[in-house]
Amino acid sequence: MSTATVGIVLVSHSAELAAGAAHLAGQVSGGTVTIIAAGGTDEGDLGTSAAKVAAGLRHADQGAGVVVLPDLGSAVLTVKAVLEDYDAAATVVLTDAPFVEGAVAATVTAAAGGDVKAVAAAAEEARHVRKL
Amino acid sequence: MSASYEQGITLVGDLHARPAGALAVAAGRFAAVIKVTAGDHTADAKSVLGVMGLGATSGQHLTVEASGPDAREAVAALIAILSEATKVGG
Repeated sequence: MSTATVGIVLVSHSAELAAGAAHLAGQVSGGTVTIIAAGGTDEGDLGTSAAKVAAGLRHADQGAGVVVLPDLGSAVLTVKAVLEDYDAAATVVLTDAPFVEGAVAATVTAAAGGDVKAVAAAAEEARHVRKL
Repeated sequence: MSASYEQGITLVGDLHARPAGALAVAAGRFAAVIKVTAGDHTADAKSVLGVMGLGATSGQHLTVEASGPDAREAVAALIAILSEATKVGG
């Protein structure tokens, strides 16, 4: 197992939602994965911030790549805009996943040493796991 | 060579989010295919959401079954986690 784990960036319209999901995912996965909450606008309102997402990508990158989870469709636009100008060496994968479940599943897979492909797959498979 | 191992345990606490996470993180480090069964439901031990979806509670009997090169170690490790982590809860 490589020493670096895949980093996670949670992009939400709400700073509190991103921070809460990051806290939950960190607790469930044992706290060994870098999870960055990129929520809210630069002014702290509801919305997304390209600057926060770009900083999140940089901070989440531990050398094994980064998986990004957006909360709602329009957060995807912000992430895509950032990725167009993002020239770092790290592999960044944008996932289509339920926000909370995807964050938890992705982080647990990252903690177990999964690569970006496995971590992204864990996030996206969260859509198909029933709670009841 | 691929072998199968299986061991059961009776939970001393509910299988909440954190113990389920500890189980899935540990399971993910093994090459073996690992299944956890509680009653009529079986989950992939490497899927934290699947493990939580079992809804396993205190007093319930769980079975851990693994097949693959490190199946024996996987079963031992997961049984140990189920024994310890469910004492804490959360």
